[in-house]
Amino acid sequence: MIQATKKHTRFLFMFIFPAFIIYTVFMLLPIINSMKYSLYSGDGLVPGTFVGLDNFIRLFTEERYYSRFWGAFGNNIKFFLIVTFIQNILGFFMAVFITRSFKGSGFMRKLSFLPTTLSVLVVGFIFKLILNPYYGIFDKVLEAVGMGDFIIPWLGDPRSALVIVSIAVSWQFFGESVLFYSSGIDSIDESIMEAARIDGANIWHEIIHIILPSVLPIVGIVTILIFIGDFTQFDIIFAMTGTRGDPNYSTDLFGSLFYRTAFSSAERGGWGTGMGATVATMMFITVTIGVGGFLAFFNKKKEELGK
Amino acid sequence: MKKIALLMSVLVALTLLTGCQKKEESKTAEVKVEKVKLVFTSWRTEDIERMNRINDEFTKANPNIEIDFQPVKDTEYDAQLRQSLAAGVGADIIFLRSYDSGYQIYKTESLMDLNSVLPELKEFPSAAVAAWATPEGESYGIPAAGVVHGIYYRKSIFEKYGLDVPATWDEFIAACDTLKAGGETVFAQGTKDNWMLYEVMYSGLGANFYGGEEARQALMNKEARFTDDNFVLALEKMKELQAYFPERYEGIDYVTMQQIFGTGNAAMFMGGSWEIGIFEDLGGLEDVGYFAPPLAKAGDTLQYCFHVDAGIAMNKNTKHMEEVKTYMKWLASSDYAQLYMNELPGFFSYTPGNYTLNNQLAKEMQSYVSDSVPTVRTVWEKLSADSPSGNELVGEAIQMMYAGTLTPAEAAKFVDDGLSWYY
Amino acid sequence: MSKSKKPIARIALYALMITYALSILVPLVIMISTSFKTNAEIFNNPFGLPESLNFDAYTTLFVISNYGRYFMNSIGVTIISLTVAVTVSALASYAISKYQFKYSRALYVFFVVGLIVPIKLGTIDIMITMLNLKLFDTLWALIIVYIAMAIPLSVFILYDYIKMIPDELSSAARIDGCSEQGIFARIIVPLVKPGLAAAGIISFIPNWNEFWFPLVLIKSRDQFTIPLATGQLFGQFDTKLNLVFAVLSLASIPVIIIYLLLSNYFVKGLSAGAVKG
Repeated sequence: MIQATKKHTRFLFMFIFPAFIIYTVFMLLPIINSMKYSLYSGDGLVPGTFVGLDNFIRLFTEERYYSRFWGAFGNNIKFFLIVTFIQNILGFFMAVFITRSFKGSGFMRKLSFLPTTLSVLVVGFIFKLILNPYYGIFDKVLEAVGMGDFIIPWLGDPRSALVIVSIAVSWQFFGESVLFYSSGIDSIDESIMEAARIDGANIWHEIIHIILPSVLPIVGIVTILIFIGDFTQFDIIFAMTGTRGDPNYSTDLFGSLFYRTAFSSAERGGWGTGMGATVATMMFITVTIGVGGFLAFFNKKKEELGK
Repeated sequence: MKKIALLMSVLVALTLLTGCQKKEESKTAEVKVEKVKLVFTSWRTEDIERMNRINDEFTKANPNIEIDFQPVKDTEYDAQLRQSLAAGVGADIIFLRSYDSGYQIYKTESLMDLNSVLPELKEFPSAAVAAWATPEGESYGIPAAGVVHGIYYRKSIFEKYGLDVPATWDEFIAACDTLKAGGETVFAQGTKDNWMLYEVMYSGLGANFYGGEEARQALMNKEARFTDDNFVLALEKMKELQAYFPERYEGIDYVTMQQIFGTGNAAMFMGGSWEIGIFEDLGGLEDVGYFAPPLAKAGDTLQYCFHVDAGIAMNKNTKHMEEVKTYMKWLASSDYAQLYMNELPGFFSYTPGNYTLNNQLAKEMQSYVSDSVPTVRTVWEKLSADSPSGNELVGEAIQMMYAGTLTPAEAAKFVDDGLSWYY
Repeated sequence: MSKSKKPIARIALYALMITYALSILVPLVIMISTSFKTNAEIFNNPFGLPESLNFDAYTTLFVISNYGRYFMNSIGVTIISLTVAVTVSALASYAISKYQFKYSRALYVFFVVGLIVPIKLGTIDIMITMLNLKLFDTLWALIIVYIAMAIPLSVFILYDYIKMIPDELSSAARIDGCSEQGIFARIIVPLVKPGLAAAGIISFIPNWNEFWFPLVLIKSRDQFTIPLATGQLFGQFDTKLNLVFAVLSLASIPVIIIYLLLSNYFVKGLSAGAVKG
């Protein structure tokens, strides 16, 4: 590290500028500028009439808008909770087991990450095909093992569709949580574990007193990443239940709501670009509040443990 | 790592090279015969091969014009079209949906008024022309294709039970009972894709109960409401059919329905004429028959949903105005209409002329027209101009009715409430 | 970790791992094997492996649907955007990790914040900008967005790699009269190659699979990338199941191969990130 002086200014500027400008102009500014369009209304692709906060007022007072918005909001929370449970809690335990010393541990670590490399679209389509009530393999397997009575129209029933979609997403990103937690467990000093074992600690003690405290920061990261991913998730809905979140909007999430309202024709649920931008702004507020909340929560936890 | 870097750079080089070569080739070709490529877009991704064969005929007669048929997936089509036209990258020739969807596009001033280009539009059936025209009479689309809705059946299964084609609803239900008692899958129907429930079932089979075209007009003119008895009655009739749906119908999507019927695993399928080609591909047509929606009672006049499906518009800002006009003229000719109906049986052209249909099913579908009152889908016109659209609402309402969350009367109210923006 | 002594625990552990492995592999095996079946086989023999390797689905895809073109589009977009993103990120990372000035720390945070910024929410403005720049419906629109998207992760990874290079090396060069740019080119770049590779490879996956932006920004068929083509072809061939599965397999096989070849980069790169947190 060297102290930058005046003679470095030109060179530093040249080095930082390209990344800075691309990143700012095509990633940060668009979000702010898009919010600007939420104050406009109009027919065309670019809304031209300034209407102040009218779009927001309409979003929360007109039934045809707020029913969709709160519907997607509620679904998104359920979706997030299911995915968090599977990826965070089950993923954590899987990491505890996968880091035990056994033959094939390295292979399992690599394999577990494989689904994450696939496209969400592909994963959604595969699950949709496997769960097809007519030729899907899943139902046929259930029948073959005598569990035919449990078969329901997985993606056709509003009670099960969202759960199935959540499982498909979790299947794909489970490996990512496992990988993160495993690396956290790997970095725990081996001597601490040894000492605990000599003291006769069983696996539960190990988990609660040693593993959990040391991977807590990772729980925070994983949770925040899941939160952002889930509250902007679109591809899985497009692939499995369509942009209207079938059946009957029971799988409509913020991502599909945003796509439909901002980019579809009125006949397919489009609300015009201005209202679409309003939805995006509300999503941004939700994500920001959520991330802020999680950061505060996990920092506090960290401090408590630090003491 | 080095190997991979090498491999990647070779691939980049290849892309760049082939990209450049293609451009040069087309440039040299342009100089020689002044070949023009027109882009034709539609929502019928399944038609690529067939449309290419039709367009080859055009290119034979007009060697300097080549047609590049570039369809976009049905569900994304309208949004894609609107955006690409606004961006000035729209196709030259455009498939356009009827009434408001098409009108919304025309309002963006990106389509040509065809009255001056194609005076022959005056000869077309005026009801069809009106589906792609402004109230002031500007036409922006050639009425290119209509579709009908009815019931496909498996001849072998009907023969096995000695069933005749039902003409009335009672006969229809009786046939369903017989088939069900025999352990057959009566309908290859599912409720996962709710547009089917509205476009095919309610608009097709329901029309005989709600009063067809007259009732549709009354609804549109605000003289009737969707909660009126006739519209509710049609919903109740749809509900009756639920007893004959296959197991776990809630999870069966449109494609699966086609597969079930197309592979001979169900006795009947309530569908649209555009599916002839799909059934041909899936298992052949020898065993497939068709009948029109059953009448409410014997002696009624059939209310036949002959939907104005596709118009063809031209991009006002095309770079090849003259060539596009030449092609549009051809699209409005009876030569094209005959080729089109032969390649895509089940799509019926509005172009005046005498045609021979080479497909038996298409002939049967056509045969009902003469003794019927034609109508179009219930809430397609005007009532689907804003969000939530009538098209969506009716589909959703029937889906919920089949799921048991709404009674037919409540379903009607759901639609009526949703349409409050119209009133 | 020490070995668990109890045999029952061992067996349970292996049973769990085998179940987990199968839950990952079975859907993928179904996908690939079904693409080689005929439509009749899919209905009559859903569980078994294909009777013979039937490449019909793949030939149809390449002959009818112009799949080669989509593939080349994806390769072009991915390579250009990753090369640019990694290059500009390396420059910026070097400047902010090796030089201390008023905003060096702030700039690092500024770049890394992008890891949790949902860029999708800026789509409306991106679309309008691309319209104004006349880049709408071109692959350049995607390339620009993907460069922006890859910068935060690349800076995050490269910052550490560059920071770890001992300062003595560059000081020596500086005394020899090497310019700051020269130090970067001759000393830093050769030493940080694994970092550049890691940044590129880890960004490759989201870039290759990205579906949202082509869906909004690309309209013409000859500009499709693989994910957009997958979405479209799935609808186009939906009654022909072997074709559908072939479409899905073709979209996945390139990433699976790259992952299997280079999985160490993923595992190491991402683990480091997680622990550092």
